[in-house]
Amino acid sequence: MAYFDVPEIDYTRYSNRQLVAVPLAVLAVALLVLVGSFLVLGSPVPMGMDFAGGTELTVQTSTPQDDIAGAFDQDANVRSTGTDNQYVVQFSESDSESLRTQAESELEQDGSADIVQSASSMGATFGQQNQQTALLGIIVAFVGMSAIAFILFRTFVPSIAIVISAFSDLMIPLAFMRLTGIPLSLGTVAGLLMLIGYSVDSDILLNNHILRRGGDFYDSTYRAMRTGITMTVTSMAAMLVMGVVAFVLGIDLLASIGIILFVGLAADLMNTYMLNLSLLRWYKFEGVRS
Amino acid sequence: MNPIDGVKQNWRVLLLVVFLTFSVIALFVPGGIVADSSVANDSVESGPTNLEFGLDLEGGTRVRAPVTGMTAADIDAGVVSDSGQVDGDRIEEIESTLYTDLELDRADAKVTVADDGSVSAEVFTDNVTHAEFAGALQSANVDASEEDIHDGVTEQTRNEIISTLRTKINEAGLSGGSVSEQTMQGTNYIVVEVPNMDSDELRKLLSERGVVEVVAYFPDETGNQTNETVLTQEQIANVDPPQQPPGPQGQSRGYVVPVQVKDGEAAEQFQRDMERYGFLDEGYTPQGACDLPEENGSISFDHEGEQYCLLTISDGEVVDAHSMGGLADGMIAGNWVNDPSFQMGAPSQQEAQSLSVNLRAGSLRAPLDLSPENAQIYSITPTHADQFKQYSLLIGLLSVVTVSGVVYTRYTDTRIALPMIVTALSEVVILLGFAAMIRMPLDLSHVAGFIAVVGTGVDDLVIIADEVLDEGDVSSARVFQSRFRKAFWVIGAAAATTIIALSPLAVLSLGDLKGFAIITILGVLIGVLITRPAYGDILRRLLTDR
Repeated sequence: MAYFDVPEIDYTRYSNRQLVAVPLAVLAVALLVLVGSFLVLGSPVPMGMDFAGGTELTVQTSTPQDDIAGAFDQDANVRSTGTDNQYVVQFSESDSESLRTQAESELEQDGSADIVQSASSMGATFGQQNQQTALLGIIVAFVGMSAIAFILFRTFVPSIAIVISAFSDLMIPLAFMRLTGIPLSLGTVAGLLMLIGYSVDSDILLNNHILRRGGDFYDSTYRAMRTGITMTVTSMAAMLVMGVVAFVLGIDLLASIGIILFVGLAADLMNTYMLNLSLLRWYKFEGVRS
Repeated sequence: MNPIDGVKQNWRVLLLVVFLTFSVIALFVPGGIVADSSVANDSVESGPTNLEFGLDLEGGTRVRAPVTGMTAADIDAGVVSDSGQVDGDRIEEIESTLYTDLELDRADAKVTVADDGSVSAEVFTDNVTHAEFAGALQSANVDASEEDIHDGVTEQTRNEIISTLRTKINEAGLSGGSVSEQTMQGTNYIVVEVPNMDSDELRKLLSERGVVEVVAYFPDETGNQTNETVLTQEQIANVDPPQQPPGPQGQSRGYVVPVQVKDGEAAEQFQRDMERYGFLDEGYTPQGACDLPEENGSISFDHEGEQYCLLTISDGEVVDAHSMGGLADGMIAGNWVNDPSFQMGAPSQQEAQSLSVNLRAGSLRAPLDLSPENAQIYSITPTHADQFKQYSLLIGLLSVVTVSGVVYTRYTDTRIALPMIVTALSEVVILLGFAAMIRMPLDLSHVAGFIAVVGTGVDDLVIIADEVLDEGDVSSARVFQSRFRKAFWVIGAAAATTIIALSPLAVLSLGDLKGFAIITILGVLIGVLITRPAYGDILRRLLTDR
């Protein structure tokens, strides 16, 4: 079995400025993508059915995939699931009753299975409210997390380092969603909130090792990294498996939580061990002690 | 080592074992440990475990919809006097002004007095604008302007709707259905969830207002046939299950719902009406006094000659028409008022059943807004839900295998890796046991929560293991304790941030995510309080010499 160990990085070779440049550049690109698409397209990320309203049908039919969209009088987006002859069809209209009737009359029945396996529709006003509620939830979670960071470390630089890297951990997956076209759904919001909780763990660990323990800065860093990278890589592996398998099997909620967390945790590795670390090093060696 | 010392030193592990045992009992022993023994006897079809599944994993339909209507809250209508007396006549006056000015059905306008004495007026329709409503209130001498009116209905009305819907769902013989209220951004939604029902059926059940009345159809003095309402839901005391009365040739063609009219005033009023409208006159009492032709399954009023009929009307539709029959005998003899029973007719068993449900549950105070723009409807067939169940299990297992693999390749020491995996799994078992105990219906979002719990759980165990193993072997229990404490500071801090980050989801009604948040938060708590300290003890036993 392959042996996995955390490599020791020689941080002394890089200046703080060099270390900070990479994560800040990535964050800048992410923000540019989000702001740009907000100005051009009206929303920073593509809105899924949960937030824009619409209908999603899961159909079981022997009609070929290419002909399914033609069965409906509206634009349909058809995607196959892990099961034979089963497809997810999405519409931007929320009148599920008429879409269900169209599916039942136009599509071929596959054996004795019901044609419409599941139907979900969300009114546009409802979606609008979901948007506001989700935004509120994310803001409250972020502010709460920041407050905890300040309470735990009680000094400005280490605390703000946590907050900045958590902010970047949220923005990078959001930009990733825009670039890959993953729509914002309830599942991805759950993923983002989970990310706030998860990503801070490795930052707290790093801060704790460097500030609250004696010993050489680089020794403490290496010890924190060994634990922290193991943690993050374990979570990333679990989320990748969950995301990919759920995507293949057609369970959207689990797929989006998994994929968002995977991307966010990858961003967190970079942010913790480049951005947060260099801020701490600056604070420890050059910063004004409070 | 004497037994008491043994318990003292290993109490964390023992606590974990106790929790695990309880969870396994709650999960697998039929009946298990159930929070509410009254529900334990429900004949819910039982799988191999005591777990309950929600719609995603069981099949069924959920509808989330606002109530149609608008309210003028806390109006100064002169209804309540300074001494707290409620003026019923004044309420009626305002209501009747609303019906006539706005051309509404009687059921669609209401003035209510809350317990604290504040008065609200409501109309339950979308066909009236705020301005029209305010205008109608002003013409009833109520000081209200357009700004006083907002969309939505009062809490009292929503509670009535919820209890009516509950009765309707129970009466329809569906177990496991639930009706609740949810508030989002100032709008109140009614959420109805029924397992094993498809969306057409539930939609029909929710869109039926269920207003049932009996109308007399008879020729007035000039000989023209007219309609008069003689019996409404408020005048009925008791409803029996529908039955098929024996007719002259064996079974009759229709069904009836036997009801009991309220004693006293209601029954007397009904008898007086029948007398006044000529139903008790000689010649019109026997069968055949009512003989309306039937066309395409509905009753036609295109007839010749005089007809004396009692019409059963449900939501404005004539369901059935029949003559007085034996009812007239009792009324003429004068003893009917002593036992005022009455049979409402219905053409089919299905109609009779729905009449009976509507009569028992009462009418829906206000209709639900099921329009595609405002409502949310979700339905899933049991077969598809079953598929989700199997897939969830598969995804869960794969995640655990992945985590175990990574942990093992990192430590390559079974003494550390194996207890780590077992401990993380026991967190899931305890959570599942807890879910079975409080009968929490599990959905896909809970499954995501369980996987997240395995993830955070292992993270924290990694922190403990690394901290304890730091700087060579652990020689004494004291060194172990101090290292373990240090590790716990980080774990506690991490747990606090996760709980804070997810708590908005546990409180806000954001779709299905409540379950995910609750499971993850509970998992973190169980982890910090029970399983992770136990893992520390296990490690100590394995690493120190004792």
